[in-house]
Amino acid sequence: MSLKRVVITGIGVVSPLGKGLPALMKGIEEGRSTVQRMEGWEAYHGLQSLVAAPAELRDEKLIPRQKRRSMGRMSIFAAQAADEAVADAGINLAQEDRWRVGSIIGSTMGSARSINETFEIMMPQKDLSKLSSTMFFQCMSHTASVNVAQYLGLNGTIMAPAAACASALHSIGAGYDLIRLGRQEVLLCGGAEELHPTVTASFDILYATSTKYNDRPHLTPRPFDKDRDGLVCGEGSGIVVLEEYERAVKRNARIYAEIVGYSTTGNGLHMSQSNKESMVTCMQQALRDAAAAPGSIDYINAHATATVQGDQEEAEAIREVFGSTVPVSSLKGYIGHTLGASGAIELAASLAMMDRGIVYPTLNLENVGPECRGIGHVMKPESRELRTILKNGFAFGGINAALVCRKI
Amino acid sequence: MIDQDIINKTNKVFEESFEIEKERLVPTAHIFTDLGLDSLDIVDLVVALQNTFGVKIRNEERVRDIRTLEDIYKFIAEMKKEEAGKTS
Repeated sequence: MSLKRVVITGIGVVSPLGKGLPALMKGIEEGRSTVQRMEGWEAYHGLQSLVAAPAELRDEKLIPRQKRRSMGRMSIFAAQAADEAVADAGINLAQEDRWRVGSIIGSTMGSARSINETFEIMMPQKDLSKLSSTMFFQCMSHTASVNVAQYLGLNGTIMAPAAACASALHSIGAGYDLIRLGRQEVLLCGGAEELHPTVTASFDILYATSTKYNDRPHLTPRPFDKDRDGLVCGEGSGIVVLEEYERAVKRNARIYAEIVGYSTTGNGLHMSQSNKESMVTCMQQALRDAAAAPGSIDYINAHATATVQGDQEEAEAIREVFGSTVPVSSLKGYIGHTLGASGAIELAASLAMMDRGIVYPTLNLENVGPECRGIGHVMKPESRELRTILKNGFAFGGINAALVCRKI
Repeated sequence: MIDQDIINKTNKVFEESFEIEKERLVPTAHIFTDLGLDSLDIVDLVVALQNTFGVKIRNEERVRDIRTLEDIYKFIAEMKKEEAGKTS
């Protein structure tokens, strides 16, 4: 059986830099940090990191109430990103074979605010009677994917990989496989996540957050920098429209890139510590899937969250596979770590870079940490033709994912 | 004669929880066909009415017979009367 080709024909983003891909790219172009000190977070005893990169929730009432009522914050972001992606792809969903269009949108978990609110309502008196009918739909793990599917009336495959910070790449990888196999024609793939002090706390208790920049928030996170001290949480959603190549060509769609390679591996060693060897294998397998030599990669969009150990492992893995010549940058300095959404938001920005022929640098990378040296760090905007790019995404649980996209 | 306070508070629930314009909140309005509520909304309506009027109606069979806003006004009035009877 011959495999189908899969292309990306639409992009939608809600990020800390604003609603829409143009807002994201404008902020990156301007070198703007969205990290700020969060009001009220001091109330959480023991929380060391008081910074985050919030996105603005706006225009949500444009979503009809009966579609919106089951959406937590993250699902609203996802619905808005999906709207943008579908419009960008020029697809009229009403005219599609509805069984062949679906959504695969992952996240670490359901809406953090809704989960907290549910327990705040319920726990003091152990009383369920004040819970709304739709609270559970906001809390469940597949909330973003099903809310987008219900909002847009999708009848095809509806899935929600929950792989923490690799969720979006898992979603795109799963969509790539489903279209390659001919099971679906169009899939809205990506991730969504929302900010909450309890989300930052999950990293904070593991000493994985940035804690030294609470009074200078714009200087953190600092991926690959010698003074990096941990990650900063962000929020938002990124959705890409994956489409079978022949039909995209037939309808004369704008094609951002073809997905030519994907791989995901587990490290099988440690729940929270990154592992170079399994990252190396993941990237090598993605390259093999793409039939691409390491030297043919024009840009690597790193996962690099600015944790001390994670950045080191990724830098060493990239050095081993690619040496020092391939340009590498991380976008976490601009928008923080958008967790389950990061793979898709950062892929969207990478595809825009491909489109513009420009590579944007790692914000806050001033002095490369000695253990992160030997790879092609991008320190300032560089004009160059990007034909083939690789996007990394790693997650708690020892999960690695890598995606290779090529311009056609 | 229904207490105006019950009417006002009930209508406020429809305005705030279900985003329905004030002008549409007439006593004869059918809550499903005219106001567009569905089965999930009814669960939230029950919670909102319980919170607003301090009555327990979740397991009350008479909820199933409610069709119009006026039915709700009357039902709440009855419930409040019954609760008052229990406490007196």
